[in-house]
Amino acid sequence: MKKAICALLAVGLALTATSCSGLTLFSNYRRLENIELVRTVTADRDGDGVNVSVYGTAGEQSEARMYERSGPSVGVAMGKLILMPLGREAILSHTETMLIGEELAEISIRECLDYVERFSEMRLDTGILIVRDGTARDLLAGLSGSDTPASDTIAGLSLNIAKVGEGYFFTAREIASSMADNGCALIQCVRGVKEEKLFEARGDLNLEPAGFAVVKDGAVCQYLTDEETLGVILLLGKYKSRNVDLALPDAAVTVSVDLAETDMKPVFDQDGRLAELRVKLSLRANVINIAGEADITDEAVRRECERELTEIMTGAVRAAVRRSQELKLDYLDLEGVIRRSSPLKFEDMPDAWEDVFPDLPVTVEGSGVLARTYDIADPPELSGKEDKNPWEKLIESLKGS
Amino acid sequence: MLKGKAKTPAPPEPESGAPVSAAALETVFEGCYDFEARDVHIGGDTARLARLCFIDGLVSGSDVAEQVIRPLTDPKRFGAVTDIKAVVSMLLGGSVYVYTAKRRDKLGELAGDLLNGFCALVFDGEKTAVTFEVKSPQRRSVDAPKEEKVIKGAKDAFVETMKINTTLVRRKVRNAHLKIKEFHLGQRADTAAALIYIDGFTNEGIVAEASRRLERIRAEGVLTSAVIEENIVDNYRSPFPQVISTERSDKFCMNLLEGRVGILVDGLPLGFLVPGTFSQFMKVPEDHSGHFIVASALTLLRYLAVFLTLLAPAFYVAVAMYHQEMIPTRLMQSMIEARSSVPFPTAVEVILMLLAFELLQEAGIRLPSPIGETVSIIGALIVGQSAVEASVVSPVVVVVIALAGIAGYTMPNQDMGSALRLCRFLLVLAAIALGMFGVATASAILVYHLASLESYGVPYMSPFAGSEGRHLSRALFRRSMTVKRDREPELKTGGGGEAKL
Repeated sequence: MKKAICALLAVGLALTATSCSGLTLFSNYRRLENIELVRTVTADRDGDGVNVSVYGTAGEQSEARMYERSGPSVGVAMGKLILMPLGREAILSHTETMLIGEELAEISIRECLDYVERFSEMRLDTGILIVRDGTARDLLAGLSGSDTPASDTIAGLSLNIAKVGEGYFFTAREIASSMADNGCALIQCVRGVKEEKLFEARGDLNLEPAGFAVVKDGAVCQYLTDEETLGVILLLGKYKSRNVDLALPDAAVTVSVDLAETDMKPVFDQDGRLAELRVKLSLRANVINIAGEADITDEAVRRECERELTEIMTGAVRAAVRRSQELKLDYLDLEGVIRRSSPLKFEDMPDAWEDVFPDLPVTVEGSGVLARTYDIADPPELSGKEDKNPWEKLIESLKGS
Repeated sequence: MLKGKAKTPAPPEPESGAPVSAAALETVFEGCYDFEARDVHIGGDTARLARLCFIDGLVSGSDVAEQVIRPLTDPKRFGAVTDIKAVVSMLLGGSVYVYTAKRRDKLGELAGDLLNGFCALVFDGEKTAVTFEVKSPQRRSVDAPKEEKVIKGAKDAFVETMKINTTLVRRKVRNAHLKIKEFHLGQRADTAAALIYIDGFTNEGIVAEASRRLERIRAEGVLTSAVIEENIVDNYRSPFPQVISTERSDKFCMNLLEGRVGILVDGLPLGFLVPGTFSQFMKVPEDHSGHFIVASALTLLRYLAVFLTLLAPAFYVAVAMYHQEMIPTRLMQSMIEARSSVPFPTAVEVILMLLAFELLQEAGIRLPSPIGETVSIIGALIVGQSAVEASVVSPVVVVVIALAGIAGYTMPNQDMGSALRLCRFLLVLAAIALGMFGVATASAILVYHLASLESYGVPYMSPFAGSEGRHLSRALFRRSMTVKRDREPELKTGGGGEAKL
């Protein structure tokens, strides 16, 4: 027993001593204070090679720094870059975003994705963005301000973009998964916009979303419009909220569409062929602003708003589906939806999905409800009357159906 | 080196069967300044003498005078009795006002009685003595527990006198099946101990084994709890407690009613209970006083505290030294910032803080109560703050060590808390060597050790191990008192022992 205790103490002291000299048993040892934390990585085309840059900080108070290097491939350029932060050890495990320049993305995006997926330090939930109208490096440099690191600006956009329904930051995992399942994927695009500085500490550029890019065979093949992007968000279930302007004859009503649910049902004919895909869009919106003369408490005005809203949103969905069919790329994963909805019928379909998909009739129906107007003349029902007759409403709806 | 040896011949041992005489008894207690002996005239007759012997302090002087000497010297009572044999017979028959009277013909028994608070009337002519129990009332009265706080429960804690303790138990478990077996422990100190169990209900095997282990004790005396605990546990090398020790009589009785065997030792204000299992050390009597949902939540919190106190420093070391990718970005930034001005590596920083924490705790315990508390508070506040300001340690380390320390204080049993503290050090060393792999390996060894422990045939980790995962809820949650409670199946209690006779 005494020997065991002595051995244990000796091991303990040895371990502590070796740690003091930095000779721990496990080779992964890194001193925390020597770490350069990389938060954003960019990749741009540089002749026949690639230019990569990393953007990171040493600590909370220290200023963010940017390093860049070029090489024949992303891996080689990154290898050179890691040697750059003097006196510090760059780690890529906290990389939140990889920005890819438009030019490189149109030639090949595969190499960048490959690096994220294969390099053990990188995380699969790294967001991938394509930079429109410029290089990723310039955008990153332009976003950097003395008090607002570029990484924070990008992180801020990733938090808010879904809330305004203008896009969605797909991660490397989602992109790789979509590529494997559907042979194509969507990537969020951003662009830098030169704006007047509201305060001196921010960078020269501001960041704004620029729709989705469609990736096929490892390169961008198409950029989607804003309307198509909205439709994609609705169909993929990534929707959270969006403000929509409704044009009435004498006024413009802005509503916040807080609920948008899509329900897709395939219709098969008697021969087992896929005859149609019915998409039902349920919308629920609240008035947030009225410009001009419009009595929103008037039932007719309300109906007009609801009709206008439904038309805009269903139009976006139709546009998204149409573009997908034109490109013959099922990035909306309609195959998966139909397969999950009617697995046996889908398996028994006489025609292959690839043949059916481009000409599949897709019917989009919508129902928009203006829930709250926040008008003084139209106060919310507090007497409990609304709550008393939910059963009657249900019975009526059942009778109607 | 100390020279010389014990004076020979040694005084007769209490087991001695030598005949009784006043001279022999005085020889036994020769050199004992508290031994008193005087002659008493039986019935006031100067010709008939008895030698009254007692140990001053162990007996009540007024009781000896009032209840023994006064009736014995009363001529009306003993004046006409000339035969000493008749006197002895009258004494044993109740002519003096003492409720316990014993005739002793052997010197050893007589000496033993004197040491237990009896006074003796020695009749040299008859070579016999009569002893009367006249114990001194100078004993600590029953008070609220000092170490185990009572919020909503009985406040009668055990005291140093075993008889009082057995009385407390009897008052709570009024059952004729409650058996109290007496043992004498210690080769020299002769400490009385009591083995308590409910006959017909408590597993006989556990009772027999506990008796065997008590009889096996070969210590000189049983003056500390460790003598009992280390002699009656299955694995005395394990730092984890296997005997439940408590100063609360209600907890003691609760465990007796669950089928455990209790041990009380004269001179120790503690009750010991076997078998002790890990889940028992996570419970406090208050669990049965509060609402069952709150009690269950608090039990879960205590289990969480076990993980925190054990793993928090080791996890921090592993993550900060090797697995930085596990740290959220914002936290990582602030940790880098905080570490940038600290000259020591993370490993040294954590070990220094752990040692400082232990030193503060030890200082707080050893010093008198008001000073100890002040030292702990000042130490924690000023030393911690100063260390951070002087960049000796980073604030995150202070938070982690403090969190682990506070979590350790939630342990209902101090011995369990100490064992976990010891393991915490080992886990930190493993984390320093191998990061998360070291933590995982050390944790696996710890779990293996705990799972291999047994207490009187009951798996130490039951019901988590050894009972196929059944009855897990019993350890983690308290059921409502309106629901009939399950007995602990591992204790294999019998069906008897009901109060009805």
